[in-house]
Order: sequence, then C-alpha cells, then structure tokens
Amino acid sequence: MASLRLQGLTKRFGDVVAVHELTLEVPSGELVALLGPSGCGKTTTLRMVAGFDVPTRGRIVLGDRDITADPPERRDCGMVFQHYALFPHLTVEQNVAFGLEMRGLRRPDVERRVGEILERVGLGGLGRRYPRQLSGGQQQRTALARALVISPRVLLLDEPLANLDAKLREEMRFYIRSLQREFHITTLYVTHDQAEALVLADRVAVLMNGRLQQVGAPEEIYHRPRTPAVAAFIGLTNLLPGRVTGRSGERLVLETPAGTVRAAGAPDLREGMEAMLSVRPEHIELDRPGEPASRDGVNRLRGVVQERTFLGSLIDFRVDVGGGVLLRVQGRGGAPQRVGEQVSVSFDTTAAWALPRREG
Amino acid sequence: MSVAEATVAPARPAGRVSGRHLLILPALAVLVVFFVAPYLNLLLISVMTPSPRAAYLRVLTLDNYARLVRDPFTWSVVWHTMWLGMATTALSLVLAYPLAYHLARSPRGARGALMVLVISPLLVGVLIRTYGWMILLQDTGLINQLLRALGLRTVPLMYNNLGVLIGLTHVFIPFMVLSIAGTIQGVDPELELAARSLGAGAWRAFWRVTFPLSLPGVIAGTVLVFVLTVSSYVIPSLLGGFTVLTIPILVVRTITELFNWPGGSALAILFFAITLGALWVYLRLAGRTGRTT
Repeated sequence: MASLRLQGLTKRFGDVVAVHELTLEVPSGELVALLGPSGCGKTTTLRMVAGFDVPTRGRIVLGDRDITADPPERRDCGMVFQHYALFPHLTVEQNVAFGLEMRGLRRPDVERRVGEILERVGLGGLGRRYPRQLSGGQQQRTALARALVISPRVLLLDEPLANLDAKLREEMRFYIRSLQREFHITTLYVTHDQAEALVLADRVAVLMNGRLQQVGAPEEIYHRPRTPAVAAFIGLTNLLPGRVTGRSGERLVLETPAGTVRAAGAPDLREGMEAMLSVRPEHIELDRPGEPASRDGVNRLRGVVQERTFLGSLIDFRVDVGGGVLLRVQGRGGAPQRVGEQVSVSFDTTAAWALPRREG
Repeated sequence: MSVAEATVAPARPAGRVSGRHLLILPALAVLVVFFVAPYLNLLLISVMTPSPRAAYLRVLTLDNYARLVRDPFTWSVVWHTMWLGMATTALSLVLAYPLAYHLARSPRGARGALMVLVISPLLVGVLIRTYGWMILLQDTGLINQLLRALGLRTVPLMYNNLGVLIGLTHVFIPFMVLSIAGTIQGVDPELELAARSLGAGAWRAFWRVTFPLSLPGVIAGTVLVFVLTVSSYVIPSLLGGFTVLTIPILVVRTITELFNWPGGSALAILFFAITLGALWVYLRLAGRTGRTT
C-alpha cells in the first residue's frame, strides 16, 4: 500500500481557479473523504489524481513516486465514477476482466481473479449479464469490483452513491467501508453528502471554493469546525456573531446579541476578537422559564417559541432569544412547548463552540 | 401521453384506427405514388417483350432476364459497379471516421460550425460541383498544370476510375460523417477515461471501447454511402467519360440509345435484387461481429 500526497495542487480553467494550493495527505490504508458543495473543486482534484486533468501547479506523489506527469494508464489508480462508466458492450465479467487483460495477465489467472472478486462483492452468477440488465446497486458493485480487481495503489471514488435511492445509499456506505477495510486500500472519496463523509471516513477534508478549509477526524470536523463556513456546511447549526470579552476557567466569555454566553473555543481566539458562536440544535434544551442566570457549565437564555414543526421523532423549534436572534432547537418527539410560550433555553458550555469570524 | 392513453383507450371502439397513426399518411401517400408505383411499373415492363416500333409489346416473357443473366458483360458491369461502391465506401469511411470523432467531441459551439463545413459538398448542385472537379482534375486542369510547372509528370485524374472515386467520395462523405458522429456523441467520454485508468493506452482504449460502440453508426454510414454510390449516375458519367461503365449508366443507355425499355427495366430490377442481397449479407456479417466484440 502507498500513501497519496497532494502538494500545492492548483488547477486553473482560464480565469477560474478550480483548486487552489491544495495540500493533503491520504495515509496508507486510510479513507479520506473530500467533502464540499458542488463546484468546490473536489471532482477536479480527483480527476487530477486519476490523470484526466493536468494540474496547473503542484505535485501528486503516490508512495515514493511522483505521478504528476504520468498518463492515466500508468498511475495504478482504481477509479469508480459517479455514473459508474461501465462498458455497455461488455458483460460484467468482461468489464471486470478489462484491467487485468490490459496488464497482460494470462487467461486462467484473469478468470480466477474475476471470479473471486465477483463472489466477494456478491455478484457471483451475474457475470454473463450486461450492465443494462443490472440494478443500480449491482452496477455500483460491478464498478467497485472492476476498480478493486487490479489491486490499485489508490482507490478513487467520485460520488459513488449519488445515483442510488436513499435506502440503498445507507447500505452501500457501510458496505464500501467494510470493503475498504478488508482490502486495506488507500482511498480518496469525493462527496457532497456530509453524512456519508462522517460515516465513511477516517479523516474528512472540507473543500470550499477550491480551498481546503479543514482536515480532521469526523468528530473533530463536526464538533470543532475551524471556520463558520465549515460549521454551516456540516450538519445543522446556529451561528451567532459575538465578541470575546474574557475568559472563565477553560471557557471563553462572549458577548452576543442574545446575551452573555460561555463557550469552548478555537485556541487562536483572544480577548477582544470578533467571533462566531456555533450551537447545534440537538444540543439545546427547552424548559419552563426558571432561573435566568447562567450556572456553571450551562448557558441559559430566555426566549419565546416562534415556530414549531413536527418531524416525527423530533420537533423543530425556532425560538426568539432577543437581539434579533432566532435559535433553531430540536426537541424530542413529546416536547410540550407551544408557539408563543415563554421558555428557558439552555445548552452546555462545552456544546457551544466559538470560532474566529473570518471567511475563507 | 401515457396517462391520456390509459384513460382514453377503454372508451375507444375496438378496431378503429387511432388518430396518431393517421400522421404517417402523407408520407405514405408520397412514397406510394412516387416510389412504389413506378417500381411496380418497372417490374411490369421488365417482363414485356421488346419491340422496335413501340416502347414494348404486351406479351409476357422472362427472356429479358435470361439474356442478361447469360451475358458475361452484365456481370462484369455489375462487378465493376460493386467494386466502385465498395471502394468509395471504404475511402469515405477512412476519411470520415477521424473527422466524425473530432466533430462529436468538439464543444457545442464549434460543432455547429464544423457541421456546416461537413455538409458543404451537399450545398452545391451536382452539375456545378462535378464541373468544379473537372476544372481541377482534367489533363489541362489546375492540378496537372501545377505538376507540369513543377517539372513533374502529369497524372490522368479524370475519365477513369480514380476521378469517379474522388467525385463520389467528396459528395457522399457527409452521410458517413453524420452517421458516425451521431453514434460517437452517444458514447460517454468517461468510458474512454475508465479504460485509460484501467491501464489501456489512448489508442487501445479507443479500439476496445469507443470503436465497438460506434459500430452502429459505421454500419449505417457504410450502407448509406454504398447504396448512394452504386445508384449514382451523373458523377460516374461526367467524371468517368466513356471509360467507366456502371449499371445506372448501362440502364440509361439501354433505354435511351437502344430504346429497349424491357431490357433496361430488367437490368434495373436485377441490380436492385443483387444490391439488396449484398446488403443482407453485409448486415448479417456486421451484426455478428458487432455481437462478439
């Protein structure tokens, strides 16, 4: 196995910078998800790694080899395309055998390895079918088998689940994860679906406007986003502007339009700095209006319920906490609060996360 | 559409022709009046007895066919026509395929402009276009004048098979390009990229993936060009002079110079049948290789 390193990778299309100075490492055997909204440059990055696009600047290093200038056929990348790109005129067997034939393997070896991998991905017995005779999930697994059978040094996946229905997508997430672990293959996984990235990845790299925002373990990305853009993109969150006015033990004290709040914060935040406070809706609790002051470890604000939406297992509230701030709160199914009711809004100081207010 | 049909269909009395089928009537009428009827008439004339005084005598005979089939001259002209058809088709294919590939993979804007250039040979009338070629190709034409000015030997480019081949290829190439470009456009460029990342070089990726998938267009284009070539009259007679003899030329001569209407008709029908047979064999073979690649 080999690690994949991108060093200062830049791609310009005319005046448009699709990818800007991207430096990222996918350690050997790990799965890194490249996550971002559509048009953020993640697919362009993948195409550069595969050799379909030539970087304007920067280097791509696979193991100890610089592959930046190599043509696609000499890179040893297993690629799974968003629309699978199965060869429609070849059977499942012939599709999977293609890469092995290109490598000049002898017929018996090709047949044995194709049989093994088809068995492994649960397509044994479907080898003689043509792609058009397969379901979406079966096509997906054929594409995976075709990429894996050549034992590539790195597996590249471009939104592989985007064309499956919701239920199958859920299944395939865990399936791809287990395949990747079993083959212990270095994997770069491109997706715009944050849930997919959080479930699948050892590490998540968030890309926006062609720039890398943050790289980290899924929990870190979710709970400790480094920029407001990342906080807003990953899951649901409330973002409140504020200013750091002091410190209280390990917590920062912030002055927000809705009142004083204590929060955990990024290490580079200092007194007097403009900040953004992120609080996830599922971390906020609603109570009867009781003691208005904040206790140790808990922030408490006063508010009025403006909206209440039934979502089945959850109830989605919008609570006006003053200063023009509407907080989104997700309560359990039986939450009794009604529209117009006075409530007390509380959340742990550890659940509030302050980050520097700068874009980019 | 399907919703409307589902609700309307049960109310429709059985056996009545639906309104949609009436849409083919105008085209059908034109075909019957101007194509099927003349052909049936031709078929009828071909079994009549030739006469020096009238177009033909209303006496049924198969003698016209018997005489043609027994005459080796007929078969030499048939073979020559077929050869010309195959040569033109092959030359068009070789020239058209790269062009079609380029066209199909060009950005949308450039594709429109290229398309106009490709069909440009069809925008000029056949006579004007052919005279244009004569100016270029004849012994005192532009090309040979140039060769002579350079002190080189002149090359006979006209009144021979070469001239006819050039003229036919020029005018029929658009049909080949358009059929092939159409199918290549339908082949996802990602398939070639997939082949590349699986270890195929650019050339191999093309032959193993794009080319087999473009075969339907190749088959359509070759059939079209072949049929147009073996039935063309103006270009072979003008650029071929008296040295190139094809079935259409022979048919016209039999009728207009020998006034043998039944004989010419029989030749036309015979050649029609031969062409049909040849196409049937070709399509069978093409279908088989299409399935195995």
